[in-house]
Amino acid sequence: MEVNQEVIAHLAELSNFALTEAESAHLVTDLNGIINYISQLDELNTDHVEPTYQVFEMENIWRDDEILPQEADPDQLLALTKAVEGHQIKVPKVL
Amino acid sequence: MSKKYIPTIGIECHVQLCTKTKLFSEVDNDARLKEPNTCVSPVDYALPGMLPRLNREAVSYAVRAGLALNSHINLESRFDRKHYFYPDLPKGYQITQMYQPIIGAGYVELPDGTRVGIEHAHLEEDAGKLSHESSYSLVDLNRAGTPLVEIVSDPDIHSAAHARDYAKELWRLMTYAGVTFGDLYNGNMRFDVNVSIAEEGAKELGTRAEVKNLNSFRSVERAVEYEIKRQTKLLEKGKKVIQETRGWSDATGETTSQRSKEVAADYRYMPEPDVPPIRLDERVVEAERAKIPKMPADYRQEFSQILGADTLEILLDYQSLIEKLDELGDHAAVKKIANLFSSVLLAEENASLLNDELPTKDQLLTLVEMNTKNELSSTATKEVFLKFFDPEMHFKDTRTIAKELGVIQENDLGALEAIVDAVLAKDETKQAQADYRAGQEKVLGFLVGQVMKESRGKANPSAVQEILRTELK
Repeated sequence: MEVNQEVIAHLAELSNFALTEAESAHLVTDLNGIINYISQLDELNTDHVEPTYQVFEMENIWRDDEILPQEADPDQLLALTKAVEGHQIKVPKVL
Repeated sequence: MSKKYIPTIGIECHVQLCTKTKLFSEVDNDARLKEPNTCVSPVDYALPGMLPRLNREAVSYAVRAGLALNSHINLESRFDRKHYFYPDLPKGYQITQMYQPIIGAGYVELPDGTRVGIEHAHLEEDAGKLSHESSYSLVDLNRAGTPLVEIVSDPDIHSAAHARDYAKELWRLMTYAGVTFGDLYNGNMRFDVNVSIAEEGAKELGTRAEVKNLNSFRSVERAVEYEIKRQTKLLEKGKKVIQETRGWSDATGETTSQRSKEVAADYRYMPEPDVPPIRLDERVVEAERAKIPKMPADYRQEFSQILGADTLEILLDYQSLIEKLDELGDHAAVKKIANLFSSVLLAEENASLLNDELPTKDQLLTLVEMNTKNELSSTATKEVFLKFFDPEMHFKDTRTIAKELGVIQENDLGALEAIVDAVLAKDETKQAQADYRAGQEKVLGFLVGQVMKESRGKANPSAVQEILRTELK
């Protein structure tokens, strides 16, 4: 897969990033380099190989359904946001 | 002549599970009536370095939900990330199950026997709630991370009425199974409907439009009706239906275009490395199966010979009522009590009484017995039945309530004859007696009334009538 300006623009749009032209050009070079490097894996035959979801072969890592105190309380968390109104997080208009 | 179009409908339903805590954090999952952003954790805020911690109970509830859908349970399932950028989801992605969902194919049977296939259902986290003001938006993360089961139907539905029946049946199945509060007003279940139409006999389905976030059975039905009409008009004018997401307004009764549907690849799904896969033991599945109570289909089979379909479907909306009927055992009693429940209790002005404790099996069976033995007239039976829901009376036994109300009918023939004789001995009834003997049937009503008055309303009127006829021969 080749990464070009168009692909970067599309990804930036999906992620809501505002990129300058210079940044975008940089990313084209960087991402192509990374993808080329990773693409060496294409030489391997991966038929009948399960995709790797995680590397530690763990399963059923779960907890009981009990309410527990958290590392930060709700007011501390809300204080991390830029703007608050009526205990809600105020953000630019979206629809 | 205009062409005939066949609608095809598939429905996605999001069900909020009623676990104590969220899917991936140990905070309160019941945000009803709570101040915004008070049921939250650093995980819900997606603070750097926070890891999701899977709630085992949510997995169990999902298994139970799957069994209620007659679905195959996938013993191995995994989570994936679905990326999208929106303020209701601080992580920038939703943890869901794209490739290996926990619930496989199944089906839901509608009241009329029609089967709607379940394609699959999966576990995922809910997003926060947005409110839109004129120049900004507000975010409440209380429900961000609430466990959801998203149930995806096959496109097996072909009418607005069936779409409604399906939505309602899902609500019954999920609430009977006890996996959700099922509170539609608070968004515990939300429906997205996909509607397309195609000419009769066409091999391919038409282009579909999706109407999102419907939160009542009625709006599911109306939105489907509206879409069928809208799309039919477009096709009849030679125009095309656009694949898009549309919003529904209960106020206008119309759907309006929201945005063109993003193609699946735009979500950039990838395996979720922070939540290891789930591998279930058959025993877990069997343990959940054991928790499933009698379901609507079981009751339909059991009661179809005793109750009319209309009455039965009304009662099926109230699980506690139908369980109570089941407890009675006796068919005649079931029929009588079912009619009282549906005609007296569910009548508009009394439905609220249902929040209270239901009458006991003993109270109900005694009521039926007293009614059958004519100790209670049908009016008195209703009166006593309503007192079962009166906080001052509900703990008393049926006979005591009936006595206190003074509505037990006098059936003792000897006692009744004595009252009749007393009435016939009165001067003011002589003229009526003569009229009756002269062939005026109508005056019998007057005489019965006099006897009822003398008995202070406790005489059984049909017994009184019999005695009068005999005595006046």
